[in-house]
Amino acid sequence: MLEHKINDIKKQVQSDVLEIKNGAELFELEKKYLGRKSEFTNILKNLKDLSPEERKKVGELANRTKREIEKIIATKKQELDGAVDLEKERIDVTLPGARRGVGHLNPISIVRNEIEDIFTSMGFEIADGPEVETEFYNFDALNIPADHPARDMQDTFFLKDDKLAMRSQTSAMQARFMQKHKPPFRIIAPGKVFRNEATDATHEHTFYQFEALVVGENTNVGNLKHIAEVFFSEFFRTDVKVRLRPSYFPFTEPSFEFDITCTMCGGVGCKGCRGGGWLELGGAGMVNQNVFTAAGYPRNKYQGFAWGFGFERLAMMKYKIDEVRLFHGGDLRFVKQF
Amino acid sequence: MKYSFNWLKELSGTKNSPEKVVEFLTMRAMEVEGVEKIGGIPDGVVVGKILEIKKHPNADKLQITKIDVGANNYLPIVCGAWNINVGDMVPVALAGTKLPNNMEIKAAEIRGEKSHGMLCAEDELGLGKDHGGILILSKNAKVGEKVSKYLGSSDTVIEIKVLPDRAHDALSHVGVAREITALENKKFDYDFDGLKLPGKKSKVLSVKIEDKKLCPRYIGAVMTDVKIQSSPLWMQERLKACGIKAINNVVDATNYVMLELGSPLHAFDADKLKVKSEKLNIVVRRAKNKEKLTLLDDSQIELNNSDLLITNGATPLALAGIMGGKDSGISDTTKTIVIEAANFNAVNIRRTRTRLNIKTESSDRFEKDLDPNLAEKAMTRIIEILEHTADAKLEGIVDVYPNKIKPWKINLDLNYVNNLLGENVPTKEIKKILAALGISATIQPYKAVCVISTFRVDIKTPEELIEEIGRVWGYEKIKPQALIEPVEPAKINEQVFFERKVKNILVGLGFDEMYNYSFYSRRDTEICGLNDVKHYELANPMNPEQELVRASLVPNILKDVRQNLKYFQSFDIFEIGRVYYPNNNKVEEKRMLVMTTVLEKDKSTETFFHLKGASEDLLEHLGINDANFNLDIKCPSVAHSGRTAGIRINNENIGIIAEINPTVLAKYKIKNRVAICEIDLEKLLAETPKTKTYQSIGKFPTVTRDISMIVPEGIAYAQIKNLVQKTGGDLIHDVQLFDYFEAKKSLAIRISLSAQDRTLASGEVDEVMRKIVLKLEKELRVEVRK
Repeated sequence: MLEHKINDIKKQVQSDVLEIKNGAELFELEKKYLGRKSEFTNILKNLKDLSPEERKKVGELANRTKREIEKIIATKKQELDGAVDLEKERIDVTLPGARRGVGHLNPISIVRNEIEDIFTSMGFEIADGPEVETEFYNFDALNIPADHPARDMQDTFFLKDDKLAMRSQTSAMQARFMQKHKPPFRIIAPGKVFRNEATDATHEHTFYQFEALVVGENTNVGNLKHIAEVFFSEFFRTDVKVRLRPSYFPFTEPSFEFDITCTMCGGVGCKGCRGGGWLELGGAGMVNQNVFTAAGYPRNKYQGFAWGFGFERLAMMKYKIDEVRLFHGGDLRFVKQF
Repeated sequence: MKYSFNWLKELSGTKNSPEKVVEFLTMRAMEVEGVEKIGGIPDGVVVGKILEIKKHPNADKLQITKIDVGANNYLPIVCGAWNINVGDMVPVALAGTKLPNNMEIKAAEIRGEKSHGMLCAEDELGLGKDHGGILILSKNAKVGEKVSKYLGSSDTVIEIKVLPDRAHDALSHVGVAREITALENKKFDYDFDGLKLPGKKSKVLSVKIEDKKLCPRYIGAVMTDVKIQSSPLWMQERLKACGIKAINNVVDATNYVMLELGSPLHAFDADKLKVKSEKLNIVVRRAKNKEKLTLLDDSQIELNNSDLLITNGATPLALAGIMGGKDSGISDTTKTIVIEAANFNAVNIRRTRTRLNIKTESSDRFEKDLDPNLAEKAMTRIIEILEHTADAKLEGIVDVYPNKIKPWKINLDLNYVNNLLGENVPTKEIKKILAALGISATIQPYKAVCVISTFRVDIKTPEELIEEIGRVWGYEKIKPQALIEPVEPAKINEQVFFERKVKNILVGLGFDEMYNYSFYSRRDTEICGLNDVKHYELANPMNPEQELVRASLVPNILKDVRQNLKYFQSFDIFEIGRVYYPNNNKVEEKRMLVMTTVLEKDKSTETFFHLKGASEDLLEHLGINDANFNLDIKCPSVAHSGRTAGIRINNENIGIIAEINPTVLAKYKIKNRVAICEIDLEKLLAETPKTKTYQSIGKFPTVTRDISMIVPEGIAYAQIKNLVQKTGGDLIHDVQLFDYFEAKKSLAIRISLSAQDRTLASGEVDEVMRKIVLKLEKELRVEVRK
């Protein structure tokens, strides 16, 4: 009889608890079934009136059931603790987010980082030189003596005093580096260079180059091709071939104009490469022995290659930018896109 | 230089199309900058026979013709010229034809009479200047055929960028034709190198060179009975193709030979070489200081002792190798001329022409160092030409050439060729390639003894020979090869990677990166109070706005601010770049960071602290927690004197943070407040810990206590914080400002206290707090609210 009653109470609790919506109701439920005046408490109080066997049997059940009810209530309590009316709290998730405002690198920096990372992974050291350079390092040490017509090949910004110039090429750092290091070495030198040239959509008087300089005892034109192909394939994430055409720079012999297969069409010809399949990137060559001797190396002991390519060209190709003056234009509408 | 393909074709005998030749040249020799088809009579101009000529009924000056243009086509054409007769063969431009002068021919009615085309004069076909009448063709011309079959060749103009190394020989048709034959593996037909001066010595001309260093060779030739007239049409066409205007047969001949062989020539009126006698004198001498000369182009120049003149012994006639004088040139009545073919010192020509800012076809070539032997070839050629085009007779020649230049030898190590190129070029090929370029190579074991023709002034070293071999052999044949040197880990360039790290932190903090020019204007230095800083000045600035080399990043970033305020109300920007200034005769080149913050106008009071917070975040991320923002610096005039602090790390002043002085902002027309932080990046790197060290996270609880206070005028927050930290010592875990009212300067701080080895007893905390309050009251006269 009593056992049935106890089991009924448990069942009642199990069904009642489903209807509970908040803490107050749960409190009422707990009071109702386990409170001092509850039926259950009454049963427990009256256990003493039973026979010893009965008392043992029913007592055990009652205590077990009490623990079970307590557990049901505790579980429900936990459930109710974090509960809110989710529907009431519905929001318009398409409203704009509260932006923290992250900044942006100038694309020249992005390209520069990529170049530095690729070359670092190929064992190249990153070197550097001054931007205000002496005529010696900018010209003489590069086999461009005073009054040489090759000084006209780059329109240089000269300073009024001290035989100084804004460096017209990163190659100005070659002799500086070689005076302090012995081959073999492989370096790149990214940096700012200056040319006194009229500006337009594809010409800037201030731009960035990265010099590569690899010197050893047997460095050859094939090595130049290889390093260049590995680098550009990695940079553009596509298979790039290089092409060398004859050119002239006083600081290299032989000298090359350096082209790569068009990264848009892969060399078949498209609008981007004006149908030719090749993109012109800059100058390269085998280091002139006069540059080695100017840096204090013995003549014909070493061989090396060098190139100087512009960052802007690469960034323009990569990001399809059609106006070079944007890089130094200081316009946030440009920078914020990268 | 512009080259006529017809001319190159004649010299080289190439059978290839212009396109093919251009491709060859580009890949194996020199850069082609442009290709343009020119000339040629349009296909719509055909041979017509005049069948009939009638008077125009409505116009006295016009006639009506009936023209047979073949295929039973008889056209009525109105014509205004009177030199035509029935039976003449004439060029007829059919309706729909566009003539070289851009005139488009249409069927029309002229004064009521039908006209189905046009009879053409010479100039209308682009053949010459003659507009005297209709061009009458040969009776043998066939009716209906294209006139271009008989007249006016078309040409392709190839523009080549000849670089300084080849300017000695390739600024000429012969030079480029030589390349073409070499690339096509053929031989030159005409022996330009074998041209030898006629032996006839002049009896009337004397040549004296006073400075043989500046003038290694001077050849003068006297030519009499010269008939000044127009050059033949073919010569005019070639000059025109190369962009040179035809003038008369003598001037044209000098230009023609220059284009052909690369040697500038000059012609004097012989009368102008006479001084008091019939003798013709040429004296090549240095100018006197301040000596004056009026040039062909009417400009008057003042000379100095380093300039070289051609004189008649008394008066200057020409600025040697650069431009002739106005008074010594030939005129329509000149009968006797003296031709000059000479050689001048390249450096000296370049100095003079740079100083005087004159650039001519002649100076362009002489400044690139010409072969003295070239003068002889050029003189031989022009005599030959003038005998034909001006009926001139050679009286005689004087050649002063004291130090004869002879071919030189270079020993070429054959292993070196292959080692430098990374490609095995067969010895037989090497010999063949060099021979085609005018270099004879005798092969010996492992080496070739090369004899260089004097016109290849550029070839002085083995590497220069290797370049010739490599390019003609074909660079595309060289296979990419990995470096054989072992790879070692690249040494890390700390400064470069540090700057990159700073950039990345700043980007994370919301700063956008600017790249600015390294130049600014004098006005910028005045506005920004930089007049006292010594600046480098550009000798040749683009414009006055970019006249000075920047000694500070501030002016240009302020201009960025002004520009961007047009589109943005608030932003954070930065630049990392170098500044440069003279310091004890040395170039000081510093790597600087400038950070700038602009907020909306209604938040302007927060601008400074917004930027200060960002700079503190930057330093904290780099591992610097004890940067000191202090008032110990002299406030520069660009900064707001009440809102400026120096930034110090470990006793090293690394930078400054400030609001920009509003008067400066007004001058840049910036309406918002701007805060700026400038940091020396080399100093910052030096103070940045190489690595961060872990601080153990306290095991014992932290107790917090608040103090609120009213602070007297002149006491800085930093003083309060320092005092709290000093007084509390190791027990002070942190001090935070949590409440601040500018008015009455009341503030509240929260002090966190803890110990590494125990839980602090409340009595212990009370005691420390009591001391702190006491000190604040006593030393800083702070009124602590209790």
